[in-house]
Amino acid sequence: MRLPIYAGLSTGAVAMTLYSLFNGGAWFWACLGVVLTVTAVAAAVTRFGLPRWSAPLLELAGLLIFLSAAFAGDKAWWRIVPTKDSMIRLSDLIFQGFDDIQRFAAPVPDNVGISLLTSGGVGLIAILVDLFAVRMRRAALGGLPLLALFTVPAAVLNDPIAWPAFVIGSLGFVGLLLADGRERLTHWGRAVLVRRSRTTTAVADTGRLSLSGKRVGLTAIALAIVLPALIPALTPAPLFGFGVGNGTGKGGNSIGIPDAIAKLSGQLTQQSNATVLTYTVSDDTPRYLRIYSLDVFDGQKFTVSPLRGKPEDRTSDGPLPLTPGLGPAIPVKRVTTNITISDKIEKLQFLPLPYAPVQVDVDGDWRADEQSLMVFSTKDEAAGLHYTALVGEPQPTRAQLEAVPQLPEAARYLSLPAGLPQEVYQKALEVTRDANNPYEQAILLQKWFTKDGGFTYNLATRGSGSDALAQFILNDRAGYCEQFASAMAVMARMLGIPSRVAIGYTGGTKIDKLWTVRTHDAHAWPELYFQGVGWLRFEPTPAGSLGQGTARVPAYSLPSAPTTNPSAGPSPGASTGSDNLGPDSASRRNLRELDRETGPAGTPVDQGLPLIAKIGIGLAILLLLSLIPAVVRLIISYGRRRALTRAAAIDIPDEPDDEPVIRDEWSRAESMDSAAPPQARPERLTPAAVEAGWAELCDMLIDYGVPKTGSETPRALARRLVERYEFDAATTRSVGTIATAEEQLRYAPIPPRETPLPSDVRQIKRALAGTVSRWRRIGAVVTPMSTLLRIRGLGERVLDGFDLLEGIRLRPRRDDDGKAATPSPGMESETLTGSRR
Amino acid sequence: MALTPDVTHDDERLEDLVDVAHRIRQAIESVIEGKSDVVRMTLTVLLAEGHLLIEDVPGVGKTMLAKALARSIDSSAHRVQFTPDLLPSDITGVSAYNQQTHEFEFKPGPVFANIVVGDEINRASPKTQSALLECMEEHQVTVDAITYPLEAPFMVIATQNPIEMEGTYPLPEAQRDRFTAKIAMGYPEPGAELDMLDHHGAAQPLDKLEPVATTAEVRSLIRAVRQVYVSQPVKRYAIDLVTSTRNSPDLRLGASPRATLHLIRAARAHAAMTGRDYVIPDDLQELAGQVLSHRLLPSLEAQGQRRHPEQVMADLVRRVPVPDSK
Repeated sequence: MRLPIYAGLSTGAVAMTLYSLFNGGAWFWACLGVVLTVTAVAAAVTRFGLPRWSAPLLELAGLLIFLSAAFAGDKAWWRIVPTKDSMIRLSDLIFQGFDDIQRFAAPVPDNVGISLLTSGGVGLIAILVDLFAVRMRRAALGGLPLLALFTVPAAVLNDPIAWPAFVIGSLGFVGLLLADGRERLTHWGRAVLVRRSRTTTAVADTGRLSLSGKRVGLTAIALAIVLPALIPALTPAPLFGFGVGNGTGKGGNSIGIPDAIAKLSGQLTQQSNATVLTYTVSDDTPRYLRIYSLDVFDGQKFTVSPLRGKPEDRTSDGPLPLTPGLGPAIPVKRVTTNITISDKIEKLQFLPLPYAPVQVDVDGDWRADEQSLMVFSTKDEAAGLHYTALVGEPQPTRAQLEAVPQLPEAARYLSLPAGLPQEVYQKALEVTRDANNPYEQAILLQKWFTKDGGFTYNLATRGSGSDALAQFILNDRAGYCEQFASAMAVMARMLGIPSRVAIGYTGGTKIDKLWTVRTHDAHAWPELYFQGVGWLRFEPTPAGSLGQGTARVPAYSLPSAPTTNPSAGPSPGASTGSDNLGPDSASRRNLRELDRETGPAGTPVDQGLPLIAKIGIGLAILLLLSLIPAVVRLIISYGRRRALTRAAAIDIPDEPDDEPVIRDEWSRAESMDSAAPPQARPERLTPAAVEAGWAELCDMLIDYGVPKTGSETPRALARRLVERYEFDAATTRSVGTIATAEEQLRYAPIPPRETPLPSDVRQIKRALAGTVSRWRRIGAVVTPMSTLLRIRGLGERVLDGFDLLEGIRLRPRRDDDGKAATPSPGMESETLTGSRR
Repeated sequence: MALTPDVTHDDERLEDLVDVAHRIRQAIESVIEGKSDVVRMTLTVLLAEGHLLIEDVPGVGKTMLAKALARSIDSSAHRVQFTPDLLPSDITGVSAYNQQTHEFEFKPGPVFANIVVGDEINRASPKTQSALLECMEEHQVTVDAITYPLEAPFMVIATQNPIEMEGTYPLPEAQRDRFTAKIAMGYPEPGAELDMLDHHGAAQPLDKLEPVATTAEVRSLIRAVRQVYVSQPVKRYAIDLVTSTRNSPDLRLGASPRATLHLIRAARAHAAMTGRDYVIPDDLQELAGQVLSHRLLPSLEAQGQRRHPEQVMADLVRRVPVPDSK
């Protein structure tokens, strides 16, 4: 009976940890009911001794009845018995629940479907736990379903589980293990009572075992909580990645990119030109601020592939993922931007950032997508936010760009839907026929859009279908930034240059030292990928008063050959040493780098330490930690030596040689008695020195592996040492001095006559060290047992604390008098129920 | 004599004590060959104002030891041979009617002496045993409502044959508890036995034994022993030892509070005999076996494993930790 109940309790306890997934409390009552139902059935199976295999079946039946009564009661027969209708209702609810779960991010509203799903799952877990722990008698295995349940909140939530929840959950499991252990023990049978006795109990003494079991369990839980708190590196983190939907749903906390392009044109055509954000840059040059990066072209428009924001890519956890594709030879210019977003903007869960962000210092749970370096959040909004971004701009030289080879194979950033008009292909080839490499192709494309092609900027144009695209490129040649960006990206893909469309804002205008970005600065531009360089921004949209007002053409995209240094200002990190990206090194890279399937490809933005160094540092830290006892030991013995020295400084030994310490009692009696009269005994002797000498001697013995036993008196110890190690006269005297002083200090009415000297301790140490092996000597210094024992003593005191806690709850202690043989009623009944099973 | 707290005085007495103890020891050892431990224990019990129980097979010198002690301290010594028909009045004495004075006159029994040797005490009936034990405890005899005090020092040395032997009434545990210590003589070493043959063959060595101390000296020694300092940790240790016998699963009867008292007294005497004016745990450890063991009853398990109380006690002494600070 006990075990099924404990199984139910543990499931219930672990199910409590789900609380953080829900907004309401209805799920709790459903789960409670489910757990109670399953537990009741399990207890009944045990009570009536039904066959084991029947338990899961009966429990399943009970679960079903409960669920249909609770969730489809109106369709059930007599509100309880499941009918066809009620089953249909249940399955409808289940599908609805699945839909809701897909739709919402935690915490979810606990509507009926989700409650049903949750309680059904908990019920199944309860059945599994009962099956493992009670029917198969493998309580530890029962932890697996519990763990599965426990990982749900851990996996779904990006916040760590609160520790009280963890404690409750693990206490549940520990309780299950304990109940199992106790059940096992009582099955050993009862001890035969032979006589009145203080020690034999009438039942197998499970109390003590379960006490130690609880000790172990409580200690483990306490350690699990305290250790991560103590060690900052072990921040509790969810176990699994953090997925974000790419946004078709609207409810809950799910995130999606609103139709970025539609919004873009909306912003551009708005009458009012409100300030969206202001920023400052360390080199005071405006930067495009990218919000979205659209990489999938479906023939009509560019959209975003699903974002992946892993917990380790949180902006608060350090630098963002490496800039994709950036090669080690490319100089990087670092600038810092301080961005303040207006609090009047619409809901925005992405951060406008210059490309490529390296580190973002922002409040809230913001994460970076590894591929596109978009920074987004599922909870927080950008409105009113103030943040700092460190940006690493690639500053490739023209030679480096020209050396970029044609990519050999297609990839995600090159994919185009079938059925694009052939004329567009031809136009792309025609425009770029003079080019020798992808970089020149890109320059010619941009030039064609901005100058040669006769394009005009016109916000009124609309439509972005594939026909519209062909129309724009071939015929109309009038549009706004979105068309220019898409057209150039598509044509670049046709030419084999990976491309994507970025949406955000241009650099804006400078007002009073602040760069101010307004609604009309909303912009779209293509980004083209060059192997070894990464993504580069191009600007096909006409700028100036006839085009996008604040658009700026990047220097490297201009065909003007003479400028070798493309950067707008002097770049501090720009070294011209490796301006020639050899074909050898280039060919080693391939497009896969783009997809980050072969690990970090570009220049590591934050050059971490090599693995060896990390291991070395780890080992060094371990080493330092392991040396703590040795250091503590040194400090302790230093303190004792000082106490001895201080006492020795004021103590002039007046009777040097008359104290033969270790001898037969009878023969030494005379000499001992004829010692100085008590008046001559000075008060100057400090007990501290005596204690210090003695403690040091004891610790030394522990360190050398010949510890003093508890019942050994100072005199006996000294005798043992001298007999065992056959010390020379000086050492014998030293041992005797320390032991006698300690003995007199403890037991004599007057303080000892002679204090030990530091030299005594040294003498004994030398003599002892001579008797042990070298390893033991080293061990005595490096890992002194005396200190380790002290640490253990500390631990035991903590355990004693746990025992005190135990004492509060447990049955009263058996009293040790005559009637000790009668066990407490609680134990008796436990045993009886246990054996009746 | 008033006890003076003067330390100097004490030390002088201690010196005396060591000296006197040494003399007595030598005197006895001239009679009992090769049993210095037993002799020392006997002296310790004498100075601790206790009584001694000697248990061993017949003929190992139990009575000889008692007599030698009595003779060497120049004290009166009486010997009572316990037999099954011995009556209490045979020990304490009787009031007899004096026909000349027409009054009852008290005729003191053999218990009126400094050293009383109760030979084979376990052969007497329990009634007679208890009459002796009463005198031991109270140091006085009450006959016909008149109390007669016994002269100090008063020490009963009882000998008994091992209880397995025939025709014995084993002393109940309550009575054994009154003896400060129980010792076993043991057979002498072959060399010592040879010496004995040499000495005893020609003459009775007891006859040649001259007193080496007076009763007055012994009395002052006993007072000196009372002055020996017992520190708190040592007292605590004594209690720990005794308590351990009460809690040990190997024992079904532990030592009584009287045992604690006896232990401390014996430890004082032991310390004093080594010239130390304070007791150390080593004294207790050395004495615990002889002072406590005979009061203990082994549990059935221990009996089944043939563990004697002496062994159990030795284990306990090894296990009970010595208190280490004041």
